[in-house]
Amino acid sequence: MDSDHKFLMTRIAGGDKQALAALYRALERPVYRFIVSRLNDPHEANDILHEVFMDVWRSADRFEGRSKVQTWIFGIAYRKSIDVMRKRGRMDLTDESFDMVDDSPDAVTCLAAGQEAEHVRHCLETLKDDHKSAITLAFYQDMTYGEIAEVAGVPEGTIKTRIFHAKKLLLRCLSGRIERGVA
Amino acid sequence: MMTRDDLNTLLPFHANGTLEGAELAAVDAALETDADLRAELAALQAIRATMRSEEMQSPGDLGLARLLRVVEAETAIAPAPVAANDNVVPIARLRIWQIAAAVVFAVGLGINMLPDGTGTPEMESAMSEDAAPAAEQGFALASGGSADFTVIFAPDATEAAIRALLLEAGVEITSGPSALGLYGLGLLESGRDDAARSILAASEIIDDLQ
Repeated sequence: MDSDHKFLMTRIAGGDKQALAALYRALERPVYRFIVSRLNDPHEANDILHEVFMDVWRSADRFEGRSKVQTWIFGIAYRKSIDVMRKRGRMDLTDESFDMVDDSPDAVTCLAAGQEAEHVRHCLETLKDDHKSAITLAFYQDMTYGEIAEVAGVPEGTIKTRIFHAKKLLLRCLSGRIERGVA
Repeated sequence: MMTRDDLNTLLPFHANGTLEGAELAAVDAALETDADLRAELAALQAIRATMRSEEMQSPGDLGLARLLRVVEAETAIAPAPVAANDNVVPIARLRIWQIAAAVVFAVGLGINMLPDGTGTPEMESAMSEDAAPAAEQGFALASGGSADFTVIFAPDATEAAIRALLLEAGVEITSGPSALGLYGLGLLESGRDDAARSILAASEIIDDLQ
């Protein structure tokens, strides 16, 4: 798949608009989903998605092929959504807002049984942006920690730390909600 | 030798199937003997499945049409061969022509890029599986309402700006873009024809209003 994307990037660098359209069709949905998960605003995400692919069009010739095309494009989306959040003035949401802490596996495994989408959505929103991004890339996009580090522009160790904390906080939040029977 | 924290850190990557080699072997070995770790892995797999099952409506072909429209407009700014005076096209006509070219091109892609053998093999293989249904939808919106106005948006109009304008004027997009880049707009129940028309006419992101 990545060799196909790299082929398209070469064509885009040469000004091929059909190749741009093909790459857009291949990656639009996951990139959009990632942006929405960060910004929580589908309309604003539309504009950022547009800007991301305009950047792809304008700077395809600077893509050196050392990373996956998908990783490179997610990196653009990551930086653009950071810009938006900075403008909004909300970079760090609290991740210490849980009033009940219980990360026992028994409570956590209740997740497998019920309608938990609302719980997961809620708990993801309580995470700090960096934590949420790392978990989102790991679970929505199935990226390796090395790829996530590339997207975020940080060392792999930083991503491992973020994932460690994000997972812990996510499980605590979910356990707390399940224990309390939050609908 | 991995610590429990190391194993905990790697567990999400076991859940998403990207763990390999020695790290995968170490986590697998620990899972065999540690019931808590197995429970946590099950929870992470459930979270991942829940996240991935959420439906999301992306911009799809409308987003692609917008992208190609702007790309086309940017490309058109590049120096062109010098033309004789009698070939000069009025600016307003030129912009419509550019938009039409972009949209016709986009519609062509919608047909030619279908994975039915009509596109180039390389590009077909580069399309994701879930992108194919979007390609089949074409560019017509399916709201079905009749149009009270017909407009062409400026090539650089953003989604946010268009949304704000539609809300202000009390209209919604009922069709489009056509091959000429035309959008049909219908009045919402609360909207008034004369008020909407004057708001649309005064907007900088409307290139043409009928």
